[in-house]
Amino acid sequence: MIVCVAVVGQQNNPLYLQSFTDGDDALKFHHIVHCSLDVVEERVNNPKKSGPTLNEPFLGLLYPAENYKVYGYLTNTKVKFILVTTDLDVRDADARNFFRRFHAAYMDAVSNPFHVPGKKITTRTFVERVGAIVRSFGSTLPA
Amino acid sequence: MEEYAEELRTPPVALVSLVGMPELHQTISASLHSEQPPINTLALPDFGKISIIAPKVKEAVDSGQSAAGILKREWLAKHRTRVPAVVAALFSSDGVTGDPAQWLQVCTDLENVKAVVRGRNIKLVVVIVQSSLRDEVSDDHMTALKKRGEIDSKYITTFLLSDTLEKRKSLQRLAAMFAELSNTYYREEGRRIKTRIEKKSWNCAELHIRYCFKVAVFAEFRRDWAEALRFYNDAYGGLHEMFGAPTKLQPIQRLVEIKTVAEYLHFKVSTLLLHGGKVDEAIKWFHKHIASCERLVGLPEVAFLHWEWMSRQFLVFAELLETSSAVIPSSVSANSGASGATLTEWDFQPAYYYQMSAHYLRKKKDSLEASLSAPETSEWRNPSESTALESIVPSIFVGQFSRVLEEGDLLTTLPVADAEYASYALAEAKRFQDSFEIIALYRKASESFTASKATRMASFCSNRMAREYYDTGDFTNAKRILDDIVGLYRRERWVALLWEALGYLRECSRKLGLLKEFAEYSLEMAALPLTEAPNGGGLSQRGVIQEEVLGPIKGETFMKVDQPIDLEVDAVSPLRTVFLASVAFHDQSVKPGAPATLTLSLLSRLPQPVEIDQLEIQFNQPACNFTLSSSTVKNQLSSSEEPPPPFLLTPGKWLRLTHEIQSGQSGKLECLSVAARIAPWCRIRCQADSPASMEASPSPSPHWKMLDEVQNSSTGDPILSAAGQKIIQIEEPDPQVDLILASSGPALVGEIFSVPVSVISRGHSVFSGELKINLVDAKGGGLITPREAEAAAGDGHHVELLAVSGTGEEEDDDDIKRIRHSFGLVAVPTLAAGESWSGKLEIKWHRPRTVMLYVSLGYSTSSGDGGGSAGQRVNVHRNLQIEGKTPLVLNHRFISPFRCEPLLVSKLRRRPDGGGGGGGDPTTVSLPQSEATVLIVSALNCCDVPLRCVSLSVEDPDGGGGGGAAVQAAVRHGAAAIASEVVAPGEEFKQFFSVVPPSESPGLELGHVCLRWTRDAGSGGGGGADSAVVVRQKLPEVKVEKPPLVVKLEFPPYAVLGDPLTFHVKVQNQTSFLQEIKYSLGDSQSFVFSGPHQDKASVLPRSEHVVSHKVVPLGSGPQRLPHVNVTAVRYSAKVSASAAASTVFVFPSPPHLDPEEEAS
Repeated sequence: MIVCVAVVGQQNNPLYLQSFTDGDDALKFHHIVHCSLDVVEERVNNPKKSGPTLNEPFLGLLYPAENYKVYGYLTNTKVKFILVTTDLDVRDADARNFFRRFHAAYMDAVSNPFHVPGKKITTRTFVERVGAIVRSFGSTLPA
Repeated sequence: MEEYAEELRTPPVALVSLVGMPELHQTISASLHSEQPPINTLALPDFGKISIIAPKVKEAVDSGQSAAGILKREWLAKHRTRVPAVVAALFSSDGVTGDPAQWLQVCTDLENVKAVVRGRNIKLVVVIVQSSLRDEVSDDHMTALKKRGEIDSKYITTFLLSDTLEKRKSLQRLAAMFAELSNTYYREEGRRIKTRIEKKSWNCAELHIRYCFKVAVFAEFRRDWAEALRFYNDAYGGLHEMFGAPTKLQPIQRLVEIKTVAEYLHFKVSTLLLHGGKVDEAIKWFHKHIASCERLVGLPEVAFLHWEWMSRQFLVFAELLETSSAVIPSSVSANSGASGATLTEWDFQPAYYYQMSAHYLRKKKDSLEASLSAPETSEWRNPSESTALESIVPSIFVGQFSRVLEEGDLLTTLPVADAEYASYALAEAKRFQDSFEIIALYRKASESFTASKATRMASFCSNRMAREYYDTGDFTNAKRILDDIVGLYRRERWVALLWEALGYLRECSRKLGLLKEFAEYSLEMAALPLTEAPNGGGLSQRGVIQEEVLGPIKGETFMKVDQPIDLEVDAVSPLRTVFLASVAFHDQSVKPGAPATLTLSLLSRLPQPVEIDQLEIQFNQPACNFTLSSSTVKNQLSSSEEPPPPFLLTPGKWLRLTHEIQSGQSGKLECLSVAARIAPWCRIRCQADSPASMEASPSPSPHWKMLDEVQNSSTGDPILSAAGQKIIQIEEPDPQVDLILASSGPALVGEIFSVPVSVISRGHSVFSGELKINLVDAKGGGLITPREAEAAAGDGHHVELLAVSGTGEEEDDDDIKRIRHSFGLVAVPTLAAGESWSGKLEIKWHRPRTVMLYVSLGYSTSSGDGGGSAGQRVNVHRNLQIEGKTPLVLNHRFISPFRCEPLLVSKLRRRPDGGGGGGGDPTTVSLPQSEATVLIVSALNCCDVPLRCVSLSVEDPDGGGGGGAAVQAAVRHGAAAIASEVVAPGEEFKQFFSVVPPSESPGLELGHVCLRWTRDAGSGGGGGADSAVVVRQKLPEVKVEKPPLVVKLEFPPYAVLGDPLTFHVKVQNQTSFLQEIKYSLGDSQSFVFSGPHQDKASVLPRSEHVVSHKVVPLGSGPQRLPHVNVTAVRYSAKVSASAAASTVFVFPSPPHLDPEEEAS
């Protein structure tokens, strides 16, 4: 189950962070997402030699955090998408599919002429859309 | 890891027992211990002690149907220290070969050993110790021993002590034998237990696990790591089955036992994997281990036991990973990454496991606290007297506890009930200070993360560490750590995290009584941008925080201070979100004393309106500082946007105030800071910004710019916001001092030209006046710096400032502070109003250049005693263009003596038609040797003023005056030769010299022409020979050669009409050859003569030929004699007398000349 998704800006500033748990441990996810930026940086600074990762936005499993797994996705504009899940075994294809849809939703949100780049994303449409993407996570249906 | 027993942590080592001959035990033990692999020894000094290793009677009950526990605590230690694989019986050869009584003793001892060994299947070795080769034991004895001991003949060996070589050989033999036998023993033991496993003759899982564990340990004894790993795995598998089916009996203790065993097995497996270099497998194994055990929390009352256990798992694995980090391959992360493998880089970081360990320990602490306060556990916490917790000790099984009852000498162990155990566990857990452990773990993780440049992870660990400190009441440390990490959160704008950290910081400051920090943190928190912070950083909470800091004091002693505290807000302070001030002057410059208008804009982002009692605005000129308070400003406010109470700062809206100030002293007036009193005890002092710089840079709040919702212009006026500056230039007051530069026409090269300077006060007093003098090339060629070639030639500058002198009473060099070639700085004495001062600038021109002379006077209008800024500084500037001119141009030429023509061959070659004397090309003037030549030096005045020439001389090149041998002053032109002579503009001053070169030379130096001149006294400037300017000019080198022929024309000075006269042409041959000459005589209307027109003659060497003609003059007055040409055949050179040389004055009748009359 996805417990948290986040969009982190170019300067590692949070643009959007939404947790999907009932408890009041949302701050924990702020920490987890923030820490995951270290791994993203590490991945960016020490890229793998192997070919397929070239121009590959999907970063895969970033790190295990307590009982969660953190996945990452890095766009060309250095905007990061972070996914925190409780599932121990996430299929690669599911994660990729999720990020692709998430990315699309983000692109639509920032294409809004009233959006100021670098500012937090607050549109309700985006929040609803992300909620839908999160709910459908893991289902094999394509987006 | 330290809490594990030694035998668990280290790989097992085979054990061999030595019996008898105690004197040798030390040697053999040391030798065996240094073997590879080492062998431990159990030394028994005599045969009576052999019963130690005898099996206990009840040991055989192993095959029972059920077991009380899984692993026996002592079993591993027993095999490592008490049960040897091999027993070596040492007998001395004397005993074997000695008398029958001794032999009998040997036999008895061997029997005893055999009996003990047989029960445990231990291998036996008989060692006969020979002290020398002679003590050899006979074969009969050997055979007898072999039979007695029932051992193979190869396990009877001799140990020779005769020499070191033999001894070493014996030791090696023993070691090899022991290694082989112990291997055999452990293999057999392992196999024996393996058959039990295969037979499955029991139905309880405990025994399966125990046997697997034993087989694995025996395999480890044999260093068969693969088998050991397999059986440890099997044992763990067996244990795994027990997880699902916990017995109903004693569930707490049962779970503890299972987990302890699991921990043991996991430790063994991890160690083996890591030592085998299989780091990935070890990590995967660890994850499996954690995943399978994670949910075995057990009863919630004793959940802390589980969390402690979890924490220990992570800690031990972290330590294992750290100690084996040397073998972690660097390419280990290659199998992770985007491909979706389960391992990431972070799985290889011990720091991660330390962090997790700390996390679980923290969980344990929380859980323990919950248990201690829960009502269900009250009976556990306060156990009845009957349950004496001291008597609970670990039982013989790993992970089990039992109660020891002491009845006299007899100790009996009883099982413990779960409730008792829970009380025991709670009591034990209470004894530990978990916080310190947690802090240490987080610190370790944080340091490790910092080392691998994972700053955010490190910050997270530091954050947790600080919270732990906070919980333990160590607020100083908590604050220190949090202060370090909030910077990162601010920089990356993680509001929620910052909010949390600031909250803790605020509480720490409150607890520590740090009022200023408390206010800073509170205000920063209150002004944080609104987010959907998970921990309730809503608007209302921010308002509460602000109210707490700025609101009226509600009887709390904490806020009561005598002295109001100042909160400084500089360009990088986080408090810029709280309070921001921008100042803009309406004008760029203002006259001194005139009013200047400025607009002050204030912005606060606090959630609630702030009331400001007083505003203090500070400038770099303290005299301009002013204070605004709500009562005074009402009248002055011109801004129409003022809210009803004038100093109410509404959140997110600029408050604009326009104020007029009296400009202070001239120079820069800059607004430094704006201090606002926002609470009775607190003043916030904000560095002032120009609106323009604020708009251009992200300075309003570097951290939160992107979150700002409202950001309209700070001044409200677009022009002001674009160009408004917090600095205004106050102009200088008009100077009331005259600076006069008087110049007297053009300057002349070489002279010291003085420019009078006078400072006349017309109203201002002059204090600490300074005169700056600067010379600049008027053509704009920059300063008068010469080109390098000219610099090398000598005098560095074309125009040089030599000195500045004042004419006051203190005409001293002290006046002159610094004089450079083109720059000077002179102090002007203090002048009262109406006084004056004058001085002279002395400037010397080396080249004719036009320069600009800039003189500026800077002075203060009042004495600077009170302080640096007491008086106004005023500057007066003047400039003057001065032309530099060359006064005199020196020229010279050479003339041969009258009516004498030496033949110069070099001149001939170049110019065959011959010619007069000097004058030609100056570089190649040729002079005849030993003949006098006239040198005329002339000086032309080419400037506009009359000059006085004091003297003109030729100086010897060696420095001696007077021309030496070569040049002698001849006749002076005019009468007053020594007295100086005034040369009017355009006139020429001439001097004659005679040059007689003594010897032949290709380049004879004639020396310098030295002219001393002054300005004519009538036209100003210094007169007299003292101040005469010396001009030197070098005469060009001349060529001196010996003339082969000299032609001289001789005739009387005058003639009388009708009287014949004779004129001679003398040709001197100065060579040693015969010279042939031709000569011709032209006709003349004024004279008649007889004789040939043309002839030729030969002149003998070193002799003279004279051609004489007698002529009769026919007309009176100056008449030219008939034209004479002389041609030297050898040189093809012709000389003809010039008109001047061949003119004679003819009197009509003989003159009457009376010399005496003439003289009178």
